[in-house]
Amino acid sequence: MLQLVADGLIVGSVVSLGAVGLTLTYSLLRFANFGHGELLTWGAYLTLAFLGLLLAGAEMAPIGPFSFGWPLLAALMLALPATAAIALAVDWALFRRLARHGNAITLVIASFGAALALRNLVQFIWGTLPEYYTREIQIAIRLVPRDVLGGLRITPDQLLVLALTAAVVVLLHLFLSYSTLGRAMRATAMNPALARLAGADVAKVARATWVIGAALACIAGVFAGLTGQIRPMMGFDLLLPLFAAAILGGIGNVWGAVIGGLIVGLAESFTVPLLGAEYRAAGSFAVLIAILLIRPTGLFGARA
Amino acid sequence: MESALSYLAFFLVFASIFAIATLGLNLQWGATGLFNVGVAGFFSVGAYASAILTTPPDPERLGGFALPVAVGWLGAVVASGIVAWAVGAAALRLRHDYLAITTFGVAVVIQLVALNAQWITGGPFGRQSIPRPLVAEIGAGLLWNLFYLAVVLAILAALYWAFETLVRSPWGRVLRAIREDEGAAESLGKRAMAFRLQAFVLGCMAMGLAGALYAHFVGFVAPEDFLPILTFQIWVMLIIGGSGNNRGAILGAYAVWAIWSVSGGLLREIVPQAEQARAAALQVVLIGVLLAAILLLRPRGLIGEERVVSRHAGQG
Amino acid sequence: MSALAAREVVAGYEPGLPIVKGASLSVAGGEIVALLGPNGAGKSTLAKAMAGLVPVASGAVLLQGSDITAVPAHLRLKRGLGFVPQTENVFANLTVRENLELAASLAGLDRRAAREEMFGFFPDLARLARLEAGRLSGGQRQMLAVARALLAKPAALMLDEPSAGLSPRYVAEVFAMLARVRQAGVAILLVEQNVKAALELADRAVVLVDGTVRLDEPARPLLGDPRLPALFLGAREHA
Repeated sequence: MLQLVADGLIVGSVVSLGAVGLTLTYSLLRFANFGHGELLTWGAYLTLAFLGLLLAGAEMAPIGPFSFGWPLLAALMLALPATAAIALAVDWALFRRLARHGNAITLVIASFGAALALRNLVQFIWGTLPEYYTREIQIAIRLVPRDVLGGLRITPDQLLVLALTAAVVVLLHLFLSYSTLGRAMRATAMNPALARLAGADVAKVARATWVIGAALACIAGVFAGLTGQIRPMMGFDLLLPLFAAAILGGIGNVWGAVIGGLIVGLAESFTVPLLGAEYRAAGSFAVLIAILLIRPTGLFGARA
Repeated sequence: MESALSYLAFFLVFASIFAIATLGLNLQWGATGLFNVGVAGFFSVGAYASAILTTPPDPERLGGFALPVAVGWLGAVVASGIVAWAVGAAALRLRHDYLAITTFGVAVVIQLVALNAQWITGGPFGRQSIPRPLVAEIGAGLLWNLFYLAVVLAILAALYWAFETLVRSPWGRVLRAIREDEGAAESLGKRAMAFRLQAFVLGCMAMGLAGALYAHFVGFVAPEDFLPILTFQIWVMLIIGGSGNNRGAILGAYAVWAIWSVSGGLLREIVPQAEQARAAALQVVLIGVLLAAILLLRPRGLIGEERVVSRHAGQG
Repeated sequence: MSALAAREVVAGYEPGLPIVKGASLSVAGGEIVALLGPNGAGKSTLAKAMAGLVPVASGAVLLQGSDITAVPAHLRLKRGLGFVPQTENVFANLTVRENLELAASLAGLDRRAAREEMFGFFPDLARLARLEAGRLSGGQRQMLAVARALLAKPAALMLDEPSAGLSPRYVAEVFAMLARVRQAGVAILLVEQNVKAALELADRAVVLVDGTVRLDEPARPLLGDPRLPALFLGAREHA
């Protein structure tokens, strides 16, 4: 029981970070980006590539109880702008041009195509075999003895992922609440024409949104790789949970996406004892259908 | 000579099957503006349904009812129609991009079932020994391929005729009005929803039929035949051919399948055995880029939407 | 020199399909000009074109004598032209305070000082500072929208039907507020359907019919002038 909750929250924090980026771009650019999952994949692989360059064959000395060392954090710092550059490039080459003429749904098709291209490019460059940031074996710590609600074991990496997700979300909240750019992003998501009248350069705000969405996706991808495997399909497999979480929280609602992500993570986790591990993704689908049937504006969304 | 002819027959059967699915998608997207990202899911429902109905009994799996192939095809149409109805009833009243996300989710779940529900789908190994109609009478060679091509072409022609008649009928004009004019859709209220649902279900039935035709041509079905790439291919076929135009949908299916087959063949020739998987990935990248280019440079496809139909609607 | 002027402006959403077909008008500092006309005459389109939201095919928009036709919409507030659209003119997901501070910092002002100044001018808003703007009443929204447009101390302010959808009490409140803004020397262009109320408030009236200016005269004498209904009705018959 406790273990299921913990597993769900760990998966949920990856979903949360991805869904926050998705909900921001969705509300601001007004289309469902089927390519968002690929930003997670690219973030994970770019970090892997930079890690390889930084280590140059040497072993990574772990920090304290964790499985990885400082080079991984350095690689992540390099991968963040690189992932953002990919998002900006796709926006520049595809979405911005299509948005000028086509409607939102043309953008959805285009994002579907971009997703396949990006995913297969990963396969082309890195192949299909799973990769890992580190081969270090981690011993799970027993936090709760087995006789209390089934007990709870968790690795230091997993605990760190939970803590860092919380930290990232708090930082993002402060940014959106108090900085001019953050407020301009919220304002533009609500009403782009009015945002221009209020003095916001909407194109610049859109670029900032891509950068932040991609950076969050990159972090989510690395967390997913750290607590699981790095695979070309990892982002695609997370796409359904991401959409479910973003819609559950209400499109454009950052805290909603965070809570939505955790709920989706828990739903997937509790699907395992019910239907078996192979049907995890069905948990996300159930959440999606439930929210669409009961409250399509999301738990915290006001707008249709 | 015979091998070239045989290859051509193979190529045409697959292209024609995809053309049937593309016609279904055109009814949804081209005529009604419904965004279906779950084409592969409905395609596989048809394939598995027909396989279950027509294969010989199998103690380890559901069915094997050994029914005639025609019954299997009918069952495929019914099964995909039922799934489509359930999905449409839930998602069609929502924003259009929510339909996209829901159909995407449905395809993911259908893929999960195909992979894991061994007793229905045979799991990763799929279902084998799907009967090829009249193969005993005709023999398995080129002649049977040609016979099957004739059957598929006849179905394609019948479906083309049916969909053309439909979109030109008052029903089709209502669909276009719903697509092009939010006001018209609102004034129809609940009936607009019924029209949308009908178009969605009919389109998915065509996809299910295409899946069944595919299954009985290949002789077995497995989950990897119905990956999201299939959805993407059908979409590219429709967009390149020109959505809103049934002839465009068919033309797009043949054109894109030709590009796909030729580029795949070339890669197999050029690239060494060990690198084939990577080459296949590159092929998908190129098709993705091709779609993006078409969307940017020629958004109306090879043949644009037939304006005759719309003008007619304006007068009607 | 007028504070705000349109010179032979041709504008519309689609190229080749102008809605405003060569309209000229001018507003002096401390003056209220009512822009009137029947439905579909192009009043809102002209105001939006002057705000930079609708492309101007030919002609020019002048702010204090300088041509701002090519200035992007998001820079016009900073340059001294505020615009209050008819509907959805506040950010419903931001608090009153955030609405004001955002526009202030985007205009390069000290956000606290600018906000406090507006709270001084509109004490009601100070009371509502922490409320989400989506929860304001219609009149309070108009007030917030006007305050946001006034933050940067613009030379000119345009309002698109500020009385639409408001109860008579709020209309009076909003118009009284505009009279105060005029006293500060701001040029005001007021697009209105409510002809009587607008003529009572405005100094001058410009009547737009089918995208062209048909009348440009002092406002008060136009109350009860038979030419007005003729222009409004004529357009209806024409359509």
